[in-house]
Amino acid sequence: MQSQIDVSVVVPVYNEEESLGILHREIATSLGATDKSWEVIYIDDCSRDRSLDVLLELRREDPHIRVVKFRKNFGQTAAMAAGFDVARGEAVVTMDGDLQNDPADIPSMLEQLDGGFDIVAGWRKNRQDNYIRKLPSRIANRLIAFVTGVTIHDTGCTLKVFRGKLVKNLPIYAEQHRFLPVMSAGSGAKIAEVVVNHRARRFGESKYGLGRATRVLLDLLSVKLISQFSQKPLHYFGLLCLSFMVFGSFFALVGLASVDSHQGLIDGAVDSAVRLNNWELIVVAIFMLLVTLTVFYALLGLLAELAVKASGMHRRGVLSRILSEQQ
Amino acid sequence: MVSETTDNPEVVEADVAPTEAQAPPELDVSIVIPVQSDAAEVKDVVEALGGELDREGRSWECFLVFDGVGGKALEAVGELRERYGPRVKSITFKNAFGESVCLSAAMERARGRYLLTTPQYIQVDPVEVGPMLKALDDGADFVTPWRKDRVDPWLNRLQSTAFNWLLRQIIRMSFHDLNCYFRAIRREVLEDVTIYGDMYRFLPVIALRQGFRVEEVPVRHLKEWGPAGFFGFGVYARRALDVLAVMFLTKFTLKPLRFFGTVGGLFALVGCCVSGYLAVQKLWFSQGIAGRPLLLLGVLLIVLGIQIIGFGLVGEIIIFSQARNLKEYRVERIYE
Repeated sequence: MQSQIDVSVVVPVYNEEESLGILHREIATSLGATDKSWEVIYIDDCSRDRSLDVLLELRREDPHIRVVKFRKNFGQTAAMAAGFDVARGEAVVTMDGDLQNDPADIPSMLEQLDGGFDIVAGWRKNRQDNYIRKLPSRIANRLIAFVTGVTIHDTGCTLKVFRGKLVKNLPIYAEQHRFLPVMSAGSGAKIAEVVVNHRARRFGESKYGLGRATRVLLDLLSVKLISQFSQKPLHYFGLLCLSFMVFGSFFALVGLASVDSHQGLIDGAVDSAVRLNNWELIVVAIFMLLVTLTVFYALLGLLAELAVKASGMHRRGVLSRILSEQQ
Repeated sequence: MVSETTDNPEVVEADVAPTEAQAPPELDVSIVIPVQSDAAEVKDVVEALGGELDREGRSWECFLVFDGVGGKALEAVGELRERYGPRVKSITFKNAFGESVCLSAAMERARGRYLLTTPQYIQVDPVEVGPMLKALDDGADFVTPWRKDRVDPWLNRLQSTAFNWLLRQIIRMSFHDLNCYFRAIRREVLEDVTIYGDMYRFLPVIALRQGFRVEEVPVRHLKEWGPAGFFGFGVYARRALDVLAVMFLTKFTLKPLRFFGTVGGLFALVGCCVSGYLAVQKLWFSQGIAGRPLLLLGVLLIVLGIQIIGFGLVGEIIIFSQARNLKEYRVERIYE
């Protein structure tokens, strides 16, 4: 059943009853104009409104539609993962169900993909949101680019096109979908960006809050770890060890040096002499603590290495090989 | 999904073979009784439940899973066999493996559409079986009773209430009575949910999390006939760990760094505040800080925080390396 279709569009749906009709008409016009075969997979994330009924009605008229109904609300990432799992297309398009993405952008993105890329990410250059939403995401994008070294202007844009083989082989979990390009870049996936149209919300409320932004920092740390060091976590932990060690040595040197320079004071007041002796002790104690930390992290690194080896993940050579095979 | 009992090394003796994986259920109800002590009132339980099910006109079978016990309880099987014939089946483990394994072992052999698990003594009025199965008929996937008027010693009740309240706070689900093991479960639930270790207790929570419909049915509580009494301190300690386990299961499984990072970050933050306070004292007020225990406390807290974050990083790696086996969603239906 693999790859009989050129394009699969994956649309997670949560309470979008008003938008769906318009959205599907737009997708159909946009893809119908190309000479590719296509399907649209709507994942109903257990909407509380009539979304599912609307979808089933649409499906009766258009055989391109497939609908996946979740047993309960599992969130956007899970919906995308489900979409990727059932998609049959050689290219997989993801987009929001709220009409903010414009399906008219899909053909040009597909063209870009055919030009030898693995991921084409949308970039909402003129974003139709207020500053409260735009600013944190801009900061987050900068941060992601800085930390991972992969520059993508707009990680939050859902409109993306993936090579089918890529998403079938990429583990997706836990709100990770926004990091997919960054994570696969580590395995040598080629990424292009295309400026896409972004429209203001027409129906309903935005489903994202600000609280999400605060979690980005921790997620970033794990993305860094996973995208660059998942094959060899010991390196990552070793790097951290090294920094602790450097910091510790620096601390010890400064501490001991300052003790020397104050040596003369010992002849003075008795209490300052006591203080200095204590100071020396403290320096040694803190130095030892940092050494402990270093050893601890080295052991954690070994543990991580063990976890990777035990899972057999390192042997697959994962994505990089699969991607290079098809070129 | 990895099942703990795929090759079933622990079953010593069973008078039934595992059913074919896809065999359609032929009976209405499979009763599962994990037997964990010699003093089990197995006979009473089977007679009460079997009688009630017969009255309801539902076909049933009964699995007695002897979790490393024998003796008097095991002898009862013979008697029950005489009375009910092959409907009563027994599975014997050489060692104790806990309720979760008992349930899996029975599940592999069960032919019923519904599973009815019950403790080894009569805990709930058998008459309540009717309404509980009715709820399953009406579309629920998992029915757990809520013993509304408890007759245990008040200390047990207090403990149970506190435990359930805490759970409600953590998982934001309303369960009044998680500690009752008298449960009616649709077969599909157990085919989909992996249970291991102490997870038996949290089966409703896990089922709910997987998107199954879990319902509570208020029932009358019978005076326990088994070895009742106060729960000791060990039970309290285990409960506390259980709460942690549920918290982990429901919230942080896929994002260990969010949990460890937050905890570790808090420690490190407090440590930084303490150290910062001392630094100010040293730099601006030229006070000696070397002799103060506060300095060590500050530095230790920072180190502790960093160590905890390290655990989160390892957790993250473990999750990622297993990600292929994790499925975060459950599909109810695909309309092609």
